[in-house]
Amino acid sequence: MSQFFSDNINSFNISNSFTTVDQRSEILAWLSPLEPRLRHQDIRTRRVDDVGDWLLQTDQFRNWCDVTGQDEFDKAVLFCYGNPGVGKTHMR
Amino acid sequence: MLTNHDFSSLVIDTLCDRAREQGFIVTCFYCDFTAQNEQSPASVLGGILKQVVSGLKEIPKEVMQAFEDQKRAIGGRGLRLPEIVKMLQTISSSWHTFICIDALDECAPEYRVRLLGSLRDIIQKSTGAKVFLTGRPHIRDEIEKRLGGRTLSLLISPNEDDIIKYLRARLEEDTTPEAMDDSLETDVLKGIPESVSEMYVRGRIRGSLP
Repeated sequence: MSQFFSDNINSFNISNSFTTVDQRSEILAWLSPLEPRLRHQDIRTRRVDDVGDWLLQTDQFRNWCDVTGQDEFDKAVLFCYGNPGVGKTHMR
Repeated sequence: MLTNHDFSSLVIDTLCDRAREQGFIVTCFYCDFTAQNEQSPASVLGGILKQVVSGLKEIPKEVMQAFEDQKRAIGGRGLRLPEIVKMLQTISSSWHTFICIDALDECAPEYRVRLLGSLRDIIQKSTGAKVFLTGRPHIRDEIEKRLGGRTLSLLISPNEDDIIKYLRARLEEDTTPEAMDDSLETDVLKGIPESVSEMYVRGRIRGSLP
């Protein structure tokens, strides 16, 4: 499966003979003008290291992100709910 | 501040690290109350589809075809929601695809209904799609109802360790370190997590936290 993946999204020079680099960018821009990864970059750079790591150790997270299981009735959705800004006034 | 966004970005980064080894696709979208009008289901899932396609070496033929077809329309036109959903179903059946959407409570309610319906359609038709969502507790029932029985819900709140790590990081950035001595620092690190967790527990009992 992995041979279909580019190692990074900038490796457009190995796109197939039917799409040029320009055409590929044009198609991506046509699919959406939004750049959701920019917001992600902004949030991740402000995140404090190791905070929230316990979430990654929970059974719920491990089971959900395991792609090796073949059970098609497994849990496809993980919904994490909480109150944003807990302790806001203390921690500004 | 420690927010749901921080948990989302942590999960997205963790998935991206594993994606390189395990060869799956990770996509994300952060809903934003101030951009509600622009964040229609087609726009959110269009943003997701764009990331899926950019993670593939070759543009899938369905996408190529739709791109060529739309050129014949006057002025060109974007994909409609059902077409986006169908493409996501098709691609995520061939490649494991993680769709992470943060702060669903910030999505306009009428948009959220259709967005959740679309996500349900995607996971029903594709065994390779995984969905990660965050939001405030008041939308939990809505999410579980719309996405059926394949949802795991997990309460996230900063624990005491998180709060201490956060405070340490902020204290290190303090621009007036001379005002802080060891005993004050100890008091801060001890006192604040206690009062935060008390506040948090009281808030949950009353059900009145925002």
